[in-house]
Amino acid sequence: MPEIESLDLNKQSVKIKWQNFLKKRGISNFADNEITNIDTTIGLFEANSLIATGSIAGNVIKYVAVENETNESKGALFNKIVSALVSCLANQGIFHIFVFTKPEYSKTFEHVGFSLLATSEKGVILEKGMPDINSYLMAINASSKLENKKIASIVMNANPFTKGHRFLVEQAALENDLVYVFVVEQDVSLFTTNERVKLVKQGVSDLTNVKVVLGGPYMVSFVTFPAYFINSPIDIIDYQTTLDAQIFKNWVVPQLKITSRYLGCEPFSKTTKRYNEILQQQLSDVISIKIIERKMIDAQIISATKIRLAIKETDLLLIKELVPLTTFKFIKNNLNILQERIQKGQKINGN
Amino acid sequence: MEIKKSALAGTLESSDVQILLSPATDGITIDLQSDVKKQFGDQIEETIKKVLLSYKIENVHVKVVDKGALDMVIKARTITAVQRALDIVDEPQWEVL
Amino acid sequence: MNQQNERLRRTMMFVPGNNPAMVKDAGIFGADSIMFDLEDAVAMTEKDAARYLVFEALQTIDYGNAELVVRINGLDTPYYENDIKAMVKAGIDVIRLPKVESAEMMHTLEKLVADAEKNFDREVGTTKLMAAIESAKGVVHANEIAAASKRMIGIALSAEDYTTDMKTHRYPDGQELLYARNVILHAARAAGIAAFDTVFTNMDDEAGFYRETELIHQLGFDGKSLVNPRQIAMVNKVYQPTKQEIEKAQNVIAAIEEARLKGSGVISMNGQMVDRPVVLRAQRVMNLANAANLVDAEGNYIEK
Repeated sequence: MPEIESLDLNKQSVKIKWQNFLKKRGISNFADNEITNIDTTIGLFEANSLIATGSIAGNVIKYVAVENETNESKGALFNKIVSALVSCLANQGIFHIFVFTKPEYSKTFEHVGFSLLATSEKGVILEKGMPDINSYLMAINASSKLENKKIASIVMNANPFTKGHRFLVEQAALENDLVYVFVVEQDVSLFTTNERVKLVKQGVSDLTNVKVVLGGPYMVSFVTFPAYFINSPIDIIDYQTTLDAQIFKNWVVPQLKITSRYLGCEPFSKTTKRYNEILQQQLSDVISIKIIERKMIDAQIISATKIRLAIKETDLLLIKELVPLTTFKFIKNNLNILQERIQKGQKINGN
Repeated sequence: MEIKKSALAGTLESSDVQILLSPATDGITIDLQSDVKKQFGDQIEETIKKVLLSYKIENVHVKVVDKGALDMVIKARTITAVQRALDIVDEPQWEVL
Repeated sequence: MNQQNERLRRTMMFVPGNNPAMVKDAGIFGADSIMFDLEDAVAMTEKDAARYLVFEALQTIDYGNAELVVRINGLDTPYYENDIKAMVKAGIDVIRLPKVESAEMMHTLEKLVADAEKNFDREVGTTKLMAAIESAKGVVHANEIAAASKRMIGIALSAEDYTTDMKTHRYPDGQELLYARNVILHAARAAGIAAFDTVFTNMDDEAGFYRETELIHQLGFDGKSLVNPRQIAMVNKVYQPTKQEIEKAQNVIAAIEEARLKGSGVISMNGQMVDRPVVLRAQRVMNLANAANLVDAEGNYIEK
């Protein structure tokens, strides 16, 4: 009976063996952004050759592949690998796990306790453990009085909250009975998650029908969805954005009885533009999609990227013009800390 | 006793069962996946509940992936998960066994 | 003449203690002894899980006539005390301690076992013990280890660690184990307990397995530790007596019976006195013949 061994991908010879094994099984995307975040890789060997493997990156299981012709059945090898990965994560205190994989492997994962969250033509996302999407949505505690009401939703990173964001929320608040503002939870931005949520809450505190909630692991920056089993960059973006839209459509919309989603129009980023298109394609049969023109101040478009640049350059006048007073006060009081973060290498030109 | 942290026990291999306990406030809920759920679902839940009862656990969410485990395996895995969740891995509760 | 009921210990099958499929089926292969492993076959993070699994299995599964043994974790680990308590509570037949190097280690084990027996209302002295010798030091102290306790039923060689300790590894001809095998065997025989040979792990080398089993059979070992159920029939085949041996043994048994009926203290066959070793061998042969299903209820050889 083969035993689980850990594979050290830092060793070139091990890495090549591992890549060749995966390539033979149709997985050939070994881009840096897919590989560098891998924490653990394990394998099963029979007579010195690799017959099954799987990896962990954070709370994501990826690069799972199993040899077809072995003494043990393929299913038994798969279950053994996934078991070992799930136990390894549990030992690290991680009990909520995601899998991103090809659609044809969805059933295999479902058979070992994963549930399907969303499907696209190129790939699927499944989750296992607790807390899951049901408990996440239950915790938002949707009021039962909201039958047949107009309920809007906005997803934002708000890094930081600007007058542009404020304008978007205001529009939604005027046109709806309730507005959910989902703040992206991943803590990778110049402003920490706590800071971003606080500034959004302060920035909309006068709007009584707005509810600010964390996006959980479900409303994230879609570019972080692993795509190791897809090669073409265009396919990757379509797959990532479709999954993002499908999670929203399959789970968030019905549970919270959402009737519309508001998006800021995107004049600059091609990726975001594509994202908006896909959202429209995927969601417009169940809710209405409202694309709001970006707010202009003195003929210039407000963007959070601009604010972050102004922080770097200590341009407080510009910042004051583009953000609500609450955000401005925070930036002014914490300018040194923010600048320090930038100096330490925090990127400011992303999201 | 109160389950304060999540804990996992068992594997997804044939004849085994994987049990995940998570903190809860609204009683015991069991979410069972099994190929033999129709025939043995009640029995599996009964076995798990009996173990929880012997530890006086009243609030917990239990996720179960059954791969055809015998009753004794379900009992052993539940005990393991409970001991882990209660942070008493090194202090078996002998009267429960 | 208690030799008549001496337990056969030709095969001691290792069963990974955290594998439900193997624990559940361990009884169906006909091993003389089943050894549930809580030690090397179980990852550090799963020691607790294996302990409960074997405990529950011992409570519920019928393993027939097999002798039930558990290999606990060594005295140098944080697990052995709970292993002992759980296994004594479960009513295990034999506890096997790995990496034994002195009689004192067996005394430590014996004390903990006796305490557990008292705690869990088991009759004191009913849990038997055995030692695995896995180092040069263990081999050097084999005599005192084998005689360390009245509870001892056997002593076993574990060659993987032993050969490492000896700065060698395993070879096909087994020369590197010759001394240890003889020492352990002598220690066992002197103490009146069983001697078990080490495992043979290369499942693809059937000829090698037969060669090794024939060697240890020739030396006088009671049997062998096994990692794969397929090896059970192979060991039994090596240990089964020949037709000639069985017929000779039958004659001896008949002579004993005759002497008993006559009320004579002297057993004689063909006008010659039969002495004790011959009687013992005859009984051992019939024991093995019975286990191999080579004789009928009356002890007659079954032609196949």
